[in-house]
Amino acid sequence: MPVVSLPYKYLERLCGSDRKTIIDHLPMIGSDIERILEDQVDVEFFPSRVDLYSTEGVARAMRGFLGIETGEEIYLVNPSSITFSVDENLRDVRPYIGSAVIRDVNLDNEAIISLMGVQEALHWVVGRGRAKVAIGVHDLDKVSPPFRYYGSPVSRSFIPLDYDREMTLAEIMEEHPKGRDYSHIVKDKPVMPLIEDANGNVLSFPPIINGELTRVTESSKNLLLDVTGTDERAVMTALRVLCTTLITAGGRCESVEVNGVVMPDLSPSLRNIDVPSCNRLLGTGFSAEEIADILEKMRYGAEKAGDTTVLVRIPCYRADIMHEWDVYEDVAIGAGFSNLDARLPATFATGHEHPVNALASAIRDICTGLGYLEVMPFTLSNEDVMYTRMQREPDPAALRVLHPISEEQTLVRTDLLPLLLDLLRINKRRELPQRIFHTGDVVLSMQTFQKLALASTHTGADFSEAFATADALMRELGISYTTAESTDPAFIPGRAADIMVDGMKAGTFGEIHPGVLNRFDIDQPVSGIEIDLHLLFPGQRETKS
Amino acid sequence: MQLTLNEKRLLLELVKKETTTPEEMGTILDRPADSVVQYGGLLSQKGLAKVERTVTTTLILTGEGSLYLKEGLPERQLYNSFSASTSIADLNSHPHAKIGLGWMKRLGWVKIEAGKVVKTGDAATSAIEAGLKNPDTAPADVKKDLLKRGLVTEEESVRYTISITDEGRKLASSGITLTGETGTLTAGQISSGAWKDLSLRRYDITKRPRPLWPGKIHPYQRMIDEMRRILLDMGFTELHGSIIQGAFWNFDALFQPQDHPAREMQDTFHLAGEQPLPKGWEKVRNMHESGGETSSTGWGGNWDPEKAKATVLRTHTTSLSIQHLAAHPEPPVKAFCIGRVYRREAIDPTHLPEFEQLEGIVMDTHVNFRNLLGYLKEFYGRMGFESVRFRPGYFPYTEPSVEPEVFIDDLGWVELGGAGIFREEVTSPWGITCPVLAWGLGVSRVAMLRMGLTDLRELYQSDIDWIRNTPVIHGGRC
Repeated sequence: MPVVSLPYKYLERLCGSDRKTIIDHLPMIGSDIERILEDQVDVEFFPSRVDLYSTEGVARAMRGFLGIETGEEIYLVNPSSITFSVDENLRDVRPYIGSAVIRDVNLDNEAIISLMGVQEALHWVVGRGRAKVAIGVHDLDKVSPPFRYYGSPVSRSFIPLDYDREMTLAEIMEEHPKGRDYSHIVKDKPVMPLIEDANGNVLSFPPIINGELTRVTESSKNLLLDVTGTDERAVMTALRVLCTTLITAGGRCESVEVNGVVMPDLSPSLRNIDVPSCNRLLGTGFSAEEIADILEKMRYGAEKAGDTTVLVRIPCYRADIMHEWDVYEDVAIGAGFSNLDARLPATFATGHEHPVNALASAIRDICTGLGYLEVMPFTLSNEDVMYTRMQREPDPAALRVLHPISEEQTLVRTDLLPLLLDLLRINKRRELPQRIFHTGDVVLSMQTFQKLALASTHTGADFSEAFATADALMRELGISYTTAESTDPAFIPGRAADIMVDGMKAGTFGEIHPGVLNRFDIDQPVSGIEIDLHLLFPGQRETKS
Repeated sequence: MQLTLNEKRLLLELVKKETTTPEEMGTILDRPADSVVQYGGLLSQKGLAKVERTVTTTLILTGEGSLYLKEGLPERQLYNSFSASTSIADLNSHPHAKIGLGWMKRLGWVKIEAGKVVKTGDAATSAIEAGLKNPDTAPADVKKDLLKRGLVTEEESVRYTISITDEGRKLASSGITLTGETGTLTAGQISSGAWKDLSLRRYDITKRPRPLWPGKIHPYQRMIDEMRRILLDMGFTELHGSIIQGAFWNFDALFQPQDHPAREMQDTFHLAGEQPLPKGWEKVRNMHESGGETSSTGWGGNWDPEKAKATVLRTHTTSLSIQHLAAHPEPPVKAFCIGRVYRREAIDPTHLPEFEQLEGIVMDTHVNFRNLLGYLKEFYGRMGFESVRFRPGYFPYTEPSVEPEVFIDDLGWVELGGAGIFREEVTSPWGITCPVLAWGLGVSRVAMLRMGLTDLRELYQSDIDWIRNTPVIHGGRC
């Protein structure tokens, strides 16, 4: 989640309240305070609330929450004569563009920092790293309308931001830091998106970099916004958040005509809220008037429209309001979570343990009774531990992770015994004897099963100990078994046996092969047991995903 | 007065010797000397003997000290490496140049003149050289230098003398019978009654035994079991399911947009192969695209069924909750799951690619947001977190959402899990018409807080001594 830095002075000025009151209430409108610094507070807002990614947006919400100014902000949009044409050749490249003009801004340093912050956050959250949406803010007075958004060849050149020489689009993608970061979004396209003015001056090469020409400074008075992207809804969301932020900062918005469509549309959307439904979901008993009052605190326009209905005007920047329940949540937040009494319902139900876990509990009883200590190794492992060190062939049914994060975790475990041996390696300096066990999930061919493994190490660990332990286990599990010669290469030949149940191999026990011990760097003999629980208790065969 | 056989034997020998050493007495009694010290100690506790402990310090040559004793101290070696004079630069090539030059100057063996080191002609055996031969008899300041230069170390040796007291003599003269003592009782001695005439050896009850390590359940599993018990007590049914999930159940059914970054290979472990879409998947598609039959707008755009077929390691147990709800759409449902979940995160002390998550859901006709807060308070209360408060939260599949915080001494308010009511976009495709309260919790985080762990790996790659030494009843909780 993006972190927004809120400078106290600017925040206090916009809010009309003091920093302590604001900081105290910030978590209650839905945020995590990251750190409180001397002249600013850094706050993490939820990804759904893109309208709070600027000091202006936070101030707007806080004024309502603190009761300083409630209800919706009204956004006037006057027409400008500025037009944009969008070229057909961008249809499969980056077809959507949103634009608006903001006049008479008075950008001090803090406002510029706030504007850059909201731009960055929108790039990240709405723009998915600029792929879906990218934003450009320009000094309008440096260029001449009408503007043109079209697909250009890579040989076109202009002076990009932070440079003092002309570069071709190809050079920008190769050499400019922003080019290296974002060229992957467009570099395979037949043409590059470009915005230029009536005189052929380049404003922007979206989604990569603006031109130096239209750089926004503290002396910029009139701004042109361009928001380009591949998803129209996301483009318009970003445009509305930007426009309303700049209006709150003191600017006047003017519309732009893009291929004949007038934008931005900053009018609220309307919803009728059903009062009983809202109260049912929240467990409250608010009247229509009370709900309207609370929603005004949350900066909605709201008025009673009958005993059971509230007509709500949802501000255009609230892209997160998709459903009535989203408004109900704001009723709860506006009322204050601390004012909602926690209360248990009368739902009657009896508890039931899952059979897999009931079996696991019984197994823990048996194993601890045998003097074994439980361990809980990872379920992600690797070929080396799982097979190579065990002198076993890799199991073709093992599930391999497509993009492992390290060599340690490349597959989902198919056996437990190797992980116990690995733990004995970690603990080789600890007092002997060591007897450990684990029961848990393994995955074979997309199916999750349970296994049980035990390992014992001390100077006298041998086949007899493994046999006696396996025999006790099977007795306590209530399952009769026979033994058969085992050929498992992880054990010493002649000192290992398979546990046979109803003619099927359900497990193996014996003395671990010294070659295996060498590979695990274990110095003492180890006796081990591994049992397939789903073969012993077929009724528990795990549900498929 | 009860004396063990060994105490009696020592006392009788002390009558003859008055004062003795453990070594001498050990030979006579045929016991190790340190056992004799122990018997003497037992006698002295009873006032029958006196044990005196004297500690003497001797200086022992270190490895370096022994080497220099043979080859000469660095300053001597350096002194012998040139004739009347040499340049400092030449001298610096000698391995002992650094330490040797300082000492040669201090001892007055050389002078520095115009960048040259010149011998003064007087280089008799220094006090340190003499001291190195016989460190124990060296003067105090030389001893200090020897220690400082790491040429010798102090070694303490402890000697005991044992002598008899008047009271001991009195007891001995009153007559002591040396009947044998019995260690382990035999079955024969018990059944025949012979035990009545035996002198049973007494044990030292102050000496701790060798530790005995019982087999036991892992401390983390005990905590998980405690949570399971609480939820079972509260009437919840336990779920368990596959750790392999289709992206459909892990993301799409939970209204996670298809372009959400968390779905990508960067954050989620993907596996080869596809999972078939379940019956009714079209309703989930409609929900994403346009909000289906609810008042929702949906996410817009096109929902790609191929993307939903991807196979992943479950990133949360919510994938099990929604499948359980889809299979049981009629109220009431109260279910929970504690299971391992996977995130593609690099391992560090507080982040692991796999960890446990707890999740509870309640579906019923009239449950509401306040009831959710009620469940959270109840659950955390039973876990021992008495103070709970709530603040707004955000999760893609719940609305309203809430982040509970618990108060922990020394830490203050700590965020512990998340909760909310499943969005209608999540429940509606499966014909669920009642609200579903849901909450989740990072179990390993609670373990860290409860057990004071600083590294999560301790839970999974445990030091056996940590398991052995973590008591079953921890802080009075069982």
